Amino acid sequence: MRMVIESVKRGLSWAWGHKVRSVVLLVVLFLTLPKQVRSQLDACCQVVATGLTSIGSTLNTVVGGGLNDILKVEQAISNFEQKIVWPEKLINEARALVANVEGLFKQIEGIMRTPVNSATLPATQQFEQILLSRDPNQILQMSGQYSAVYGALPAAAGLSPQMRDMTDMTDAAAQAAMKRAIQIDALADLELQAADQLHQNIQTAAPGSAPIIEAEADAWLVRANAYTQSATADLMRVRAIDLANASANVKNGASNAAAIQQQIYNLLKRQ
Amino acid sequence: MAPLTNALFGFLFVLFCYLIVTARTRRRVLVLTLTGLLVVTLVSPPPIQAQGGVLVAIQSVMNTINRVLGQALKAINSVRTAVSNIYQKVVWPVALINQARGMVTGMIGQYRSLMQNIFRLNLRSATLPNPVGLENFMRNHQTNDFASLTTMFGSTYGSVPNVTMSGALDRTMMDMDDALAMGNLKTLKMSDAAGDLTLQAADGIETAASQAAPGSAPFLTATAIVASIQSQALTQKMLAAELRQEAARLAHDNSLRKRGSAMTGDVSTQILNLLKRN
Repeated sequence: MRMVIESVKRGLSWAWGHKVRSVVLLVVLFLTLPKQVRSQLDACCQVVATGLTSIGSTLNTVVGGGLNDILKVEQAISNFEQKIVWPEKLINEARALVANVEGLFKQIEGIMRTPVNSATLPATQQFEQILLSRDPNQILQMSGQYSAVYGALPAAAGLSPQMRDMTDMTDAAAQAAMKRAIQIDALADLELQAADQLHQNIQTAAPGSAPIIEAEADAWLVRANAYTQSATADLMRVRAIDLANASANVKNGASNAAAIQQQIYNLLKRQ
Repeated sequence: MAPLTNALFGFLFVLFCYLIVTARTRRRVLVLTLTGLLVVTLVSPPPIQAQGGVLVAIQSVMNTINRVLGQALKAINSVRTAVSNIYQKVVWPVALINQARGMVTGMIGQYRSLMQNIFRLNLRSATLPNPVGLENFMRNHQTNDFASLTTMFGSTYGSVPNVTMSGALDRTMMDMDDALAMGNLKTLKMSDAAGDLTLQAADGIETAASQAAPGSAPFLTATAIVASIQSQALTQKMLAAELRQEAARLAHDNSLRKRGSAMTGDVSTQILNLLKRN
């Protein structure tokens, strides 16, 4: 302790003796003493804190408020779409109705498959079986069976050329119509099959995908109309040939009457 | 980096103190002091000027929020509001949806019963027992009594004569004509039954349409179109039956023509033979 007091006394006496140096050292010591550098940052932090508070407030009012407004509109749209435009309950009810309609048409298909064969003789039974077969592969066998029932075209000696042409044309129209009937039956079966597929697909469709199936169904409807038109065309052909035959009969009658008149005239001349 | 800097400062400070303490003249003290000041001035870091920069940055963020985000959100909100208005006022106005449903319900009330009553009018017109029986079976919309139809057809139009009473060609043609006529009568009974079910389907679709939403209506239109395809297929089957019938009538007439020519040939030959004998 005494040594410390002695050292301090010596230091003070040196400082008294070297006043300028002591002052310089004191000033340097003061200047180089570590200072609280936080003072500058404190002010900065306050500014930052105030700024952040302000940003937060702005975010709440401007961004948050704006987002809330958008949320309200979105919720209104969502409610409207769920309750008015695409209510799930009504969509499911529509799907159930599709299943119901499909069931009704399955019943119809069952009814339409009931056999209607009515012939009793062997030749007519075979011919009728081909006619009602709905199998286009049997069309090739039809001509033979047709001749067995309705007779073959008479030989050239048995009929005038004109009558043979008429007879052959009439047979051709009748056979073509019968072949068309087999063809149309087969096509109608395929259309019913496709319609079943479409009905099944509608039941599992979404409101957004149902119009695509509807477009496919529209295409099938257009196709079906074309087939109906082709069947109607053949029906018209059959009736046209029938009318042509009636006209040809009148023409033949007139021609025969003239020939008989001529023959009677010739007979009378000879006598 | 900071500890190294502190050590360097400590070393310089001790060196400075040593040189000041050991300096022999005042002039040397003054030189050392000035040198020290120069070193401190040169080495010490510049004062922080960041306060102004933070303020500018904050202001910039605020401006971004207010101008860019705020205006963008307002724009989005106005667009979504416009979309909502279009949905509710133009595309799917509830009032018009309800009006359409009401229209369908009104049409059901106005037409369904009326048309059903017209369609169910009794068209039977036969007066004698056999035709009355045949007509009843022809028009009863049933598909499980084809045997009775065949019996009644035989009672009204007669059956195919036996071999002794008629030639083979005649029997064949009569049987074919009868078969096609009966086949078509059976097909018509089937078509009648199918027509009833088709009308039932149409009623179902119409009733559903009276309660449909815009989002469920595509299911109904799709099923209606599929039903149209099926209906078209049934029409085709009826047309096929009619084609068979018309073709058979044509073939029948043509067959008579062929037989007529054969008979004419036979008669000519017989007359020629007679004339030869004479």
